[in-house]
Amino acid sequence: MDFTTLGGQFLGTIPLGDIVLYFTTFNLFMFVSALVFTAIIAMSKTESQIEADFGTLKDKEKKVSKAEFKIRRFLAIICGLATAGAMITGDVFDYTLFVALIGIVNIGIVAAVKEIDVLEAAFQYGIIAMIASLPLFAGAAFILASSGTISLLEIINIPTTTMMFFGSILLFIGVAGETGVAPFFATKAELFRTAGSPFLVIIHLSSLLIIVRTIEILLIINKPF
Amino acid sequence: MRLGRIWNKLATPKRIPRVFSVILAIVLLAGFIVPLTYNDQQLYPRPAPQLQISEQDPLAPYDRGGVPLKEPGIVKAQYPQYAPMEGMVTGYLSPIAILVGNTTLYFGTSIYSSPGGLIDEILYYSRGFDTVLESTILMMAFVIASWVALHFTMRRRED
Repeated sequence: MDFTTLGGQFLGTIPLGDIVLYFTTFNLFMFVSALVFTAIIAMSKTESQIEADFGTLKDKEKKVSKAEFKIRRFLAIICGLATAGAMITGDVFDYTLFVALIGIVNIGIVAAVKEIDVLEAAFQYGIIAMIASLPLFAGAAFILASSGTISLLEIINIPTTTMMFFGSILLFIGVAGETGVAPFFATKAELFRTAGSPFLVIIHLSSLLIIVRTIEILLIINKPF
Repeated sequence: MRLGRIWNKLATPKRIPRVFSVILAIVLLAGFIVPLTYNDQQLYPRPAPQLQISEQDPLAPYDRGGVPLKEPGIVKAQYPQYAPMEGMVTGYLSPIAILVGNTTLYFGTSIYSSPGGLIDEILYYSRGFDTVLESTILMMAFVIASWVALHFTMRRRED
């Protein structure tokens, strides 16, 4: 089992000291698509929602104000860049840092909204993201302690132990909490009930790409076949 | 029917942090029975315990040797080929540190000592990208907190 089994052709590395970013066909594709979507989101405008009351003419329009638009666009771009970085990093600790960055920026994107239901859900999501940073970093620490390295290019040559397996379970729980996948989706589903769809889409896209990349990293660490 | 009820309960945002913490607690408790197998092949090279203390070294137990900019100290990188200048400033001590080191034998364990030089190269030289990312996370947290504080998003009385 090596990188070519999972990701196709090995295209090269970017060494930054001990932190080595690497490219395969698979993660280069995810990296480029994350950057392209970030560029599209940075250029797009928000929609406005109309809430209609039955039987009356009291229609309520929900718009994104200019100050809110600016901060949410800024945080969406950071979120996109962090997602792109997480796609190509070859270092487990760096990966957890990128995931933590995505988590905190996702809270920021919805914290600028002025709707109580959405803010309540964002608060609950923030609590999960904070709890999830414990298993996230503990997982990386377990992998470091049991294999002696956190560079994926080295881990792939080290036989998997039970402790590494436990570390990767912790890592997965951490990622599941930060990205809010099932069965923790309820908070995230609430977040999407507000105006400003481009920024909500980047929350969705980042969790999607992160989950795919996490599965690839867990396969590299555990080497099941 | 029962499964449907469980899914309905999971659809309440308030319950989600509790569910998550319970699952995490179960996994962490299971961690007590996981056998601990540490890899000691890639550890940081260290002298034998108490060796530097018996030699009356003021920097004990953190003396890593090396002359700044001339001779590298004892450090170990994952990829030495990408870090050719590693260890060159490990032996650096500030004038105050040299003064204190000459006065007492316990400089290495005092609160104002810095293990093997003021610049921890493992962190800032070979893993410099980590520090960039960590401070980015901190900066984003401050950006969000200050924006929310300035614009006061939760106007409960008006809504």
